[in-house]
Amino acid sequence: MSGLGKRGSPRRRLVSGIAFLLPNILGFAAFTLVPLVMSFGIAFTDWDTLRHNIFRHETLRFVGFENFSWLFHHPDFLHYLGNTFFLMLGLPFAIAGSLGAALLLTRVSHRPVARRGAFIFATLFLTGSGLLLRMGGMSQVGVWFIFGVLAAVSLVAGVLTGGSVYRTLFYLPNFTAGVATFVLWKKLYNPSGPINAALGPVLDGFASVVRSAPDLFSWGVPLACGVVAAALTLWQLWRLRQHWDDATAGPVSVVSGLLMLAVPVGLQLHWLGLSAVTAVGGPLGVVLIGAVLILKRPRRWGPVCARDAGLSAEIALALGLVPLLTLLAVGVTWGSRLPALAAVGLPAPNWLGDYDWAKPAIMIMGLWAAIGSNNMILYLAGLSNIPPELYEAADMDGASPLQRFWHITWPQLAPVTFFIGVMGVIYGLQGGFEMARVMTKGGPAGSTTTLSYFIYIEGFETGRLGYASAAAWVLFALVFILSLLNFRFGNRSAND
Amino acid sequence: MASVRLNPAPAEPNELPTLKRSFLISVALLSLASALLYWTVPGKRTDIPVIYWVTQDDENKRATVAAFHQWLADEHLPAVKLRIDNTNQEPTKKLVQGLSGVGSDIMDLYGYEADLFPATGMIQDVTEDAKRLGFSPAATYPALAPDFIINGRQFGFPRNAGVSLNWINRETFAKYHVPEPPMRWTMDEFEALGKKFVAAANPPGTRERIYFTNLVPREQLRRGLGLANYNETCTRCTLDDPRNVQILERVRRWTVEDHLIPSREEGEAMAADISGDGSMFSHFTSGRFAMIYVGQWALIILRPRGTFQLRAVEPAMDGFVNTDMGGGAVSVYAHSKHLEASIRFLQFLTSPHFNNLIARIADGLPPVPKYAETEEFLRPAAHPNEWGTAAVFAEEARTTGITMSKSPFVLQSILYRVEKELTETMVSGRMTAAEAAKAMGDRLNAEIQLRIDHDPALRKLYDQRVAIQRQIDARRAAGKPVPAAWINDPFHLAYYRAHGWLEKEAKP
Repeated sequence: MSGLGKRGSPRRRLVSGIAFLLPNILGFAAFTLVPLVMSFGIAFTDWDTLRHNIFRHETLRFVGFENFSWLFHHPDFLHYLGNTFFLMLGLPFAIAGSLGAALLLTRVSHRPVARRGAFIFATLFLTGSGLLLRMGGMSQVGVWFIFGVLAAVSLVAGVLTGGSVYRTLFYLPNFTAGVATFVLWKKLYNPSGPINAALGPVLDGFASVVRSAPDLFSWGVPLACGVVAAALTLWQLWRLRQHWDDATAGPVSVVSGLLMLAVPVGLQLHWLGLSAVTAVGGPLGVVLIGAVLILKRPRRWGPVCARDAGLSAEIALALGLVPLLTLLAVGVTWGSRLPALAAVGLPAPNWLGDYDWAKPAIMIMGLWAAIGSNNMILYLAGLSNIPPELYEAADMDGASPLQRFWHITWPQLAPVTFFIGVMGVIYGLQGGFEMARVMTKGGPAGSTTTLSYFIYIEGFETGRLGYASAAAWVLFALVFILSLLNFRFGNRSAND
Repeated sequence: MASVRLNPAPAEPNELPTLKRSFLISVALLSLASALLYWTVPGKRTDIPVIYWVTQDDENKRATVAAFHQWLADEHLPAVKLRIDNTNQEPTKKLVQGLSGVGSDIMDLYGYEADLFPATGMIQDVTEDAKRLGFSPAATYPALAPDFIINGRQFGFPRNAGVSLNWINRETFAKYHVPEPPMRWTMDEFEALGKKFVAAANPPGTRERIYFTNLVPREQLRRGLGLANYNETCTRCTLDDPRNVQILERVRRWTVEDHLIPSREEGEAMAADISGDGSMFSHFTSGRFAMIYVGQWALIILRPRGTFQLRAVEPAMDGFVNTDMGGGAVSVYAHSKHLEASIRFLQFLTSPHFNNLIARIADGLPPVPKYAETEEFLRPAAHPNEWGTAAVFAEEARTTGITMSKSPFVLQSILYRVEKELTETMVSGRMTAAEAAKAMGDRLNAEIQLRIDHDPALRKLYDQRVAIQRQIDARRAAGKPVPAAWINDPFHLAYYRAHGWLEKEAKP
C-alpha cells in the first residue's frame, strides 16, 4: 500500500489535507488576515475607542484620507519617522558584525592556530565580562562563580568540540529574551555602570594627553579628519571615473556614487550654520558638475553597459562610506573644540539619558545582538557553500587574504547579504517597540520613540485606532517601497 | 485474460492514519484540558459569587480582602468571594479587556485611567447606588470629588486620600550639617538651601552624586503663581503663559546648573541601580535624596526598611500655596456579572473595617476623614519616628489639597506626554523655556481642536463652555465676582475662592 498522497479518492485526500491545515488557516485568518483587513478599513474611519466600543455605539464615520493627511501634519510623526530611519543606520554595522563573527567562527573551525587564538579570546572575553559585571555592582562571589564556570566550560568544550561550542556561545544573544537583554543593557549603560567605569580611565588619560598639547589637537584633529575625508572623496571620484571609463558603471550608478558624497558635505554645511538652501543646493550643484564632467568622458569600450550597471556596488559602498564620511565631518566641524572639552575633563557618555547619545546607544546594543544572531547563522551557511576551488585558484594566483575576501567571499555571499538586507530593513522599520518601552519609554524627549511605539501609544493610550491604523499602513508602505528598491537594485546573485 | 501481477510497492509507513490519530488525540486532549480549566475556574466551583479586583497582590491588599469578607459577614450581607487579580494591572490590558467585555469586576484607577476609562463607558455609573448605600462624595474629602465625579456623575470611590509632600530624611540633613527646610518655604529659599546641601554632600571627587530632592512638582509650582494647565472652563490650555516659562527656567536651572534634582537621565540611571519601583525609596533611605516628593503611602515602603527620622513639609513655592491632592479611586466594571456585589465593595470603603485598616497600615489617609483623627493614625505606637507627619498630611489635605486639572477635551495621558517631553527637551538645552511653553500650548490646543472636530457631543459641550468662559473673562475684567458653578477647573475654583472672586456661595 502506498503512503501519503496515494490513498483514497482525491476528494477524501483533499478533505484530509484541509482538516490538517484548518487549525493553522483558522488561526491565520482570525489573528492575521481579519485584523489586517480590518485595520485597512479602520485607517479610513474616525474609530476612537472612547466613542466606538461595546458601551458606546456611536456611528463610525468614513473620513477618507483625513487620518493620513493629519499624520503628516502631526509634529511628532516626522520626528519619530526620522528616529526610525536613524536607528536603521545601524544596519550596515549589524551586517558587518554578523559577517565578522561568521568569518571568525569559520576560521576557528578550520585552522588550529586560529582555534588556539579563539580559546584565548573567549577566555579573556568571559573574564573581562566578569570584571565588568563586578564593577557594575554584582556580588563578587556570584560573578566569579558564573564566569569561572563559563570560562572553564568554554575552554574544555572548545578543545573537545572545535568551533561548534563557540558558535553556540556566539549565538547565545539570540536565545535570550528581548526584555531581559534590554534590562541588562540598561544596567550596563548606567552612567556609573560598568561601561562608563571602564571608559572613565581611558577618557581621563586621553583628556590629560589633549591638555598636554592643546594646540596640536585643536588644529590636528580637524586637519587629520579633513585629510582622510578628502582622500576618501578623491578615491571615490577616481573609482567612479574608472568604472565609467571601463563601462562597468552606468550613468545612474555614477550619479548615485556622487550623491553619497554630497550627504556628509551637506550635513557639514548645515552644522557650520549655513542656510538649508546652501546646505542642500551647494553639494547638489557640485554633484551635477561632477556628473557632467564624468559622463562626458568617452568610454574605452563604448556604451556597452546598462544605465544602472554597478548600482548595487555603489549602494553597498554607500552603507559604509556615508557614515564614515559623516563621522569625519563631525571631526572637522567640532574637532577644534576638543582641548576646551578636555580642559574640564571628558565625561563618559550618559548613554540612554542624553538626547544625542540615546540613539547611538541603542544602535550599539543592536550591533551586539546582530553579532550573535540568525544573520550570523545565515552567513555561516553561506560561507560553507562557497566552492573551495575558488580559494585554491586564488591561492595559486597569489591573492592576499583581503583580495580573497573582496573578490571571492563577498561576491559569493551576495544572495545571503541581499536576504539579510531585505529582512533587516523590514525588521528595522517595524522594530523598536520593546526597546522603547523597556529601556527609555521613548525618551529622552522622544529621541528613541520609533514608529511602532508611536502606533502603540496612539492606538492604546490615546485610543485613536483610525489614526494608529493609518500610521501602521504608512509604515507598511515604507517597508514595501524599500523592499521593492532592495529587489530592484540589490545584488541577489553570486555571479552579478 | 491473463492477469499481470505487478510487484507490490515497497511497504511504506502507514503515515496518514498515524497522523490522523495524532491529530485527533491532540484535539481530544486540548478539549479535555480546556474543559478542566473551565471547571476549575474559582467561580465554577462554588455557589458564592466570585468577584475580581485588579490591584497589587501584597500583604495590605490581602488584609483588605479579609476585612471585606468580615464586613460582609458582620453586616449580614450575602457572601461574596473577592479575589485579587494582579496580572492585569497594566493600563492597556485593563482598557483592552474592558472594551472587549471581559474586564475585572473592580478596578483601581490611577492617573489618566480615571479620566479615560469612564469616558469609554466601561465604568459603571454608581451615582444612585452611592446615594442608596452611603458612599457619595459627601463621605470623603470634598477636594477629592473631581477624581471620581465626571460631569456630575459618580464613577467610583477613593480607597485612600492624601496629598504629596516633601518627606525629609532628617538624618541626611544632620549628616551634612545643613538645616532642615521649614514647613512652608519659597522657591528662592528652596534654591538657597538646596545649593548649600548639594555643596556639602558632594565634595570634589564624589562618585555618586547626592541630590536635594527627587523632583519638584511643576503643576503645583505653576499653580502657586496662579496658573493652571487650563483656563477656568478647561477649554484652552494655558501652558504658553509667561508664568510657565518662569517655572520651566527654574526647573532647568535646578536640574542642569545647580544639580538639586536629577535630570531625567540621571533619575533613570539611579533607578537602574535598583530594580523595581522602590528605587526612589532606596535612594532616600540611603541618603542619595535628602527629600522625596510623594504621598503618605510612602510609609508602607519605608516602614519595613528600618526606622528613619522623618518629617514632612510642603513643596517650596511662591504665591498661592497648594498641594497635589489625589486618591486611589476604585471603580466598578460596567459589564460585571456581579454588579451589586462589586458595588458593595465601594460601600465597604466607607466602613470602619476598611478605614481603620488604612489608618493602621498608613496607606495614605483613610477615605473617610474622621478616621484620620484617631490616636492610632496620628501617633502609631510602634513608629514614634513618624509622629507629627500624619497630622501634617491630614491638615494639608483639608486646607491646601487640590486635585489635578483635567479637561474633557484632552486626555490626561496626552497632557502628561506633551508636557514631559517638552520639559525634557528644554532641560536638555534643545529649546528655550519660552519655546517649550509655547509648544505645550500650541500642541495641547491643537489636540482640543482635534477632539471637538471629531466628537459632536464634545463640540456641543465645548461651545457651551466657551460661552461661559467669555462671561467669566468679562466679569473678571470688570472686577465682578463669578458664580462657582461656572468654573470647572478645581484649581481655579480654589484660587477664586481664596481671593474672594466668587459670588457668595450657599452654605451646604
